[in-house]
Amino acid sequence: MTSDVIDTRPWPRAMRAGLHGGMVLLVATFLFPFFWMVSNALRTDAEIFAVPPRLLPDSWEWGNFSAAWSYLPFGQFFLNSMLVAAAITAIVLVVSSLAAYAFARLRFPGNGGLFLLYLATLMVPQAVIVIPLFLMMSAIGWVDTYQALIIPMAFSSFGTFLLRQFFLTIPRELEEAALIDGATRLRILLTVFVPLARPALGLLALFTFTGQWNSFLWPLIVINGPEHATIPLGLTLFQGQQGIEWNYMMAGATISMLPGFLLTVLLHRFIFKGIAIGSGLGGR
Amino acid sequence: MPVVSRLAGIVAAVAAIAATGVAKAEPVKLTWLMWSGSEAEVEAWKHVAGLVTEEHPDITVEFQTTSFPDYWTKLPVLAASNQLPDIVSLQAQRAPGFVDLMTPLDDLIEADGFDIDAFDPSIVEGLSRDGERFAIPYDFGPLILYYNRDLFAQAGVPEPKPGWTEAAFNEAARALTTGDRFGFAVSIPDAFMTYALSTGAHYLDEDGELDLTSQGMVDAFKRYAELVSTEKVAPLMPSSGTQSSSMAAARFTSGNVAMHVNGPWQMINIKGKSGFTVGVAPVPAGAAGSISVSAGSGFGISASSPNQEAAWKAIKVMTGPKAEQYLAEQGRAFPARTAQQSFWYDKAAEGVVGAREGIPAAIATARPYATTPAWASVSALFEQYAPVAFAGSESPEEVLETIQALSDQ
Amino acid sequence: MAQQIARPSLGHPRVLDRARARPAVESYSPTRSDPWTALWFLLPSLLGLILFLVVPLVASLVLSFTNWQIIGQARFVGFSNYVNLTTRDPIFWQVVANTVLFTVEYLLLNIGIALGLAVWISRLSWGKRFFRLAFFLPTFMPMVGIALVWQLMLTPRGLVDGVIALTGLGLPNVLAESTLALQALVLLTLWSHVGYNLMLFGAALESIPESYLDAAAIDGASGWQNFWLIKLPMISPSLFFGTVLTAITTLQAFDQVYALTRGGPGSSTATLGYAIYNQGFVTYKMGYASALAWILFALIMLLTIMQLRLQRRWVHYDQ
Repeated sequence: MTSDVIDTRPWPRAMRAGLHGGMVLLVATFLFPFFWMVSNALRTDAEIFAVPPRLLPDSWEWGNFSAAWSYLPFGQFFLNSMLVAAAITAIVLVVSSLAAYAFARLRFPGNGGLFLLYLATLMVPQAVIVIPLFLMMSAIGWVDTYQALIIPMAFSSFGTFLLRQFFLTIPRELEEAALIDGATRLRILLTVFVPLARPALGLLALFTFTGQWNSFLWPLIVINGPEHATIPLGLTLFQGQQGIEWNYMMAGATISMLPGFLLTVLLHRFIFKGIAIGSGLGGR
Repeated sequence: MPVVSRLAGIVAAVAAIAATGVAKAEPVKLTWLMWSGSEAEVEAWKHVAGLVTEEHPDITVEFQTTSFPDYWTKLPVLAASNQLPDIVSLQAQRAPGFVDLMTPLDDLIEADGFDIDAFDPSIVEGLSRDGERFAIPYDFGPLILYYNRDLFAQAGVPEPKPGWTEAAFNEAARALTTGDRFGFAVSIPDAFMTYALSTGAHYLDEDGELDLTSQGMVDAFKRYAELVSTEKVAPLMPSSGTQSSSMAAARFTSGNVAMHVNGPWQMINIKGKSGFTVGVAPVPAGAAGSISVSAGSGFGISASSPNQEAAWKAIKVMTGPKAEQYLAEQGRAFPARTAQQSFWYDKAAEGVVGAREGIPAAIATARPYATTPAWASVSALFEQYAPVAFAGSESPEEVLETIQALSDQ
Repeated sequence: MAQQIARPSLGHPRVLDRARARPAVESYSPTRSDPWTALWFLLPSLLGLILFLVVPLVASLVLSFTNWQIIGQARFVGFSNYVNLTTRDPIFWQVVANTVLFTVEYLLLNIGIALGLAVWISRLSWGKRFFRLAFFLPTFMPMVGIALVWQLMLTPRGLVDGVIALTGLGLPNVLAESTLALQALVLLTLWSHVGYNLMLFGAALESIPESYLDAAAIDGASGWQNFWLIKLPMISPSLFFGTVLTAITTLQAFDQVYALTRGGPGSSTATLGYAIYNQGFVTYKMGYASALAWILFALIMLLTIMQLRLQRRWVHYDQ
């Protein structure tokens, strides 16, 4: 475990170098499975289980990527996943901000109890609610539609809890001034809390998007065919009754990581260049 | 599903069929749920659906799909919410759990003079319960032994052929096992069941209940497990998210196991991926002979479907000679219709040694893969627990007792 | 969006003691109580929750008292699912033990490692983004892909075996060994999920005002004091959130078990989440699975309420 290295009293240089060296090694180990994934995506199927294992492919099968792409309607899956994950993220951001503000700042009877109820809904194992949920969807005729993928999944309390934690740390003087000026609560939320909570909102967007991007059980139950299928569902189609396309699966998994990767690069600034709360140093 | 309404449905369907030619049919849109594993496979099934419309312009079949493992999660959920498609695909060994959802087909077959004898009898039986048929098969196959000819030649071991004994198999497995390579790959439960049947053991009792703890089964499992635990002629493959039969196939095509047991439906995959010459033979003969289980799949009509008559028409086309020939040539299915099997040998098994002799020999002695309604769970338990015996951490007997106890719960 | 806010400068870490004396949620500003505003703010999420979570949850409670097998009719069987589970099911207690063991071990490791890495990264003068991204990378990967990569690495005579053979340790086949398989699962879960808390704690650390740390430095606080007296209290709300959420999701662990081990060898890696899926979707005993789910639900509830009680002792809001 690392300890906190502080500038005013530097550790002996050797120790610091050792620590950093260890960390770099850790990161390299951590990234190894990705190397293995890409390396396997570029092999012939027969090489995947070669004994002894080889670090690099014998023949670089770059064609696997395009083959995987055409093996299934991958483009369609991609668009579906994008649409669903983005829509859910948008709804979650709005709905959670409102609820989190109420829990963090408004006085109403039963605040604590209601919050516990919100928390309780996070404790429900998905496997048991999918069937009642599916019955509901079929009753309103939503089976095999985008809205069935989006709407029921857009009300997780995860965001409410995350933002509430963040809102609670926002100094109260900030809104008191605005209240005295006669601003409405909604206005305070939009002009004071949302800008201050940018890191938390960024995190929430990132977590929701990646979580939904990889969601599997619900799409499996509610979607009937390639038309509305999402990527994780699509990837399972590489495992047929007629064997597994290991190399295509690896290629497909590699491709499917790109949007999340790009989103993180984009959101990184947003999350980590947040306003230092209560510091008197405004953000940009 | 009340019997009365079921009967009413059949009567109506039969009456409707009798009245065809008199009334002009309304256009019908049928739904059909089927598993698939690639775009090529999806295209093949869509082609089959298209054949229906070609034959009956008033019927269109909408193809819905999931991957094979997920199909069995989805089907009961659809059943629970009364959303079953008109046409349901069923695999024989998993069918018993779903029979109650299906329309019995005997009366339709009868009324139509449909020639059910054109299909292999073992798979027709596999898709029946108590003599009543609930699906028409499109493919089937006895489990067979796939072997790597190049490795056999290298090791100077005689190749397997019909009549091959367990003793010869053991010898070959030992001879083919080298530092980096194994002679054989075990897989469970299907391949093990053929092994057990060949020794003369039975995994179901007279009433068709699961019975894993008879002396015969224990002995068979002990011998099977020893291939991994003490003989070390087969790799120890832990239970994982991948079925053991797929794992065995992957290691076989990579050339690091010389033999494994699988169905003919894997032929196109194995042949396509192997960088060596593939041979096939019936499973080795034990004390009771070479006895394989014959597994396969077919299409049935869901009892809740409002389009019984159109669905029956569609299924007749989907399992008809034209469709069977197409599926055989594509390598998608070893046809359940005996007349169309030659197309499969010509195309799918082209260049595979022993296919034309080995597979018919295996068919001749194969038994329908009899299972229990909770077979999916038995299968999962085998995948989970058998490796414990393979690793030698528990005796094979204890493992079978555990599987039996958990299945009986 | 510049918000220039004047704050009393803090000359000493001890300033935080003031905050410590305050209870957390009850410390509202003396504004008017406005239940109506609160209702409007809560309405969208409440409607969604009730429709898509509470109703199905109640339905599953009802189901847990039936013998519903998905196909066919359900009959009420009273408490017999619960009785069978706890007294006759041969593996139920093993599954509970696996779940608790897995959760406790994983939770400690996850929070410790995520916090350690976050602190380390926040102090780097370069490459922050690269390291955060590196550790967050696995979260973009669908579980089915993760499982296949790990299967390939852990396969007998595969890569990990090869590396172990080189070191001469001679470990057995990892996934075929009961104790090791659960550890492999912990490792895989850490690898695939530690990035979430790392991001969370990283963002919290990043938002600590420099002035606090500068003030402490002037006072001659050591690195450790800095960490214990300033950083830890300042990020405690995020730490609390991370701990509660990680506990909740880990107790429900299913994906990784399903994808990597299917509960094997034997039932050594079967968790409650996996058992629920298995009973519900493999053996189709939905009634039984619902009973299992409610036992799990009760377990999570218990743990979370405990954590909520404890938070007053160590979580600091709004200094």
